[in-house]
Amino acid sequence: MPVVEFQAARPSHRPQAQTNNLHRANPVSDPRPTNDVHLVSVDDQRARFDKVVLPHLDDAFALARWLTGNRTDAEDVVQDACLRAFRAIGGFAEGNARAWVLTIVRHTAYTWLHKNRPAALVMVDDLEAAEEAQSNRSEPEVETPESILIAKTDSAALEAAIAALPAPFRETVVLRDIQGLDYREIADVTGVPIGTVMSRLARGRRRLMATIARSAS
Amino acid sequence: MTGLMPHDDPTLLVHAYLDGELDPINSVAVEQRMADDPALVAEYERVAALRQLLAERLPREAAPAHLRGRISSAIGLRQSRAQPSWRALAASIAVTAVLASGATWLALGPTADNGTADAIVADHIRALMAPQPTDVVTSDQHTVKPWFNGRIPEAPRVVDLAKDDFPLVGARIDVVGRTPVPTLVYRRHRHLISLTAIPGSRELEMAPVHKTMDGYNLMNWTDHGVTYWLVSDVAVSDLDQFCRLFRTTSPATDQ
Repeated sequence: MPVVEFQAARPSHRPQAQTNNLHRANPVSDPRPTNDVHLVSVDDQRARFDKVVLPHLDDAFALARWLTGNRTDAEDVVQDACLRAFRAIGGFAEGNARAWVLTIVRHTAYTWLHKNRPAALVMVDDLEAAEEAQSNRSEPEVETPESILIAKTDSAALEAAIAALPAPFRETVVLRDIQGLDYREIADVTGVPIGTVMSRLARGRRRLMATIARSAS
Repeated sequence: MTGLMPHDDPTLLVHAYLDGELDPINSVAVEQRMADDPALVAEYERVAALRQLLAERLPREAAPAHLRGRISSAIGLRQSRAQPSWRALAASIAVTAVLASGATWLALGPTADNGTADAIVADHIRALMAPQPTDVVTSDQHTVKPWFNGRIPEAPRVVDLAKDDFPLVGARIDVVGRTPVPTLVYRRHRHLISLTAIPGSRELEMAPVHKTMDGYNLMNWTDHGVTYWLVSDVAVSDLDQFCRLFRTTSPATDQ
């Protein structure tokens, strides 16, 4: 029964409509009336960028690194994402700045990967479709007691296990367990319903535990 | 999180329970199901262990120092402009001073809330950008209170929430309006939570209120005439939990 529901929820890792608009004209040169909120001075735009985006640079970089797999690519992605955020800053209303920044970073990262590392993204759609067509119980069973997981896992093994997760699971686990977003924020950033966030999180965590248990035994 | 549960796979609900995403009714329901099902308890313990592992064993990921410079030059920012918080702080002091001219301290009531919220957020941002988010670094509540004594009239209530995953990082003095006020800094995983205590509220008790400002989550409430302000980029559910714990945990007896 959950199968239908998950498939219905699948227009998953398409970027949100909001992020698709990021390439629109630079608000500064936008010839709309002066009382339009999108029309801000360059100074205001910079001040807002400093206030809204820069405090979340560490989070932006961390997400980019988990999505691209290395720090050099992550720097390129974050710089590109910051340029997009700067152009779009006039359209950012009061709200969750961190989620907004991470949404842009995520979208930029996948665009960047499609262009520069297409191999990294191949099969993700198919993999998720295949998994969802199976029962929700198809995740590997983990029998190792939690004490052993904790005692034996070092950070390198943990990083490798996260890096090995398929992208939809990896981004969900990273956003929740490493970056501390709540379900609603993750749903906003990844553009999927909360139910999908929940099932991806559970699956991602179960896969992680299975990998860790294997390497610890 | 009522109404957000599109299915009732008990395993997913155990995860949501651990993530603090369930409302009290659903939490009780999950606890009851766990009491009847050892497999769910095992899942609970594994996931709790995994969460702890991820929180403790992964090195903190900071953006490399040169990235800020790369971004600044990419968007044509000069380095000297990267300090908006002082301007915001100055602006908010001006606003608050106007709103509360005269009896600045006592007039920091609900009408001045936006000015106060502005100052609270500006102080928090400035702390995040400074080399140290606190003036005194300590995880010991017994060190914090004496540090405040002598700097401000009254040391704030300090409680130890380390066992609940909110370790104390330190404390600093912030300025709201023109008044120095005590701020405690706690940590939730890698995120800092600033808790500012402003005495002299007109109301003796006020229930918690949520706000969002510049992307930061804020919460304020009043206990015994002291208004507490929480600001952080952690999830609202974490702030709720912190607020609940802070209000219900007794401070250790002062020496």
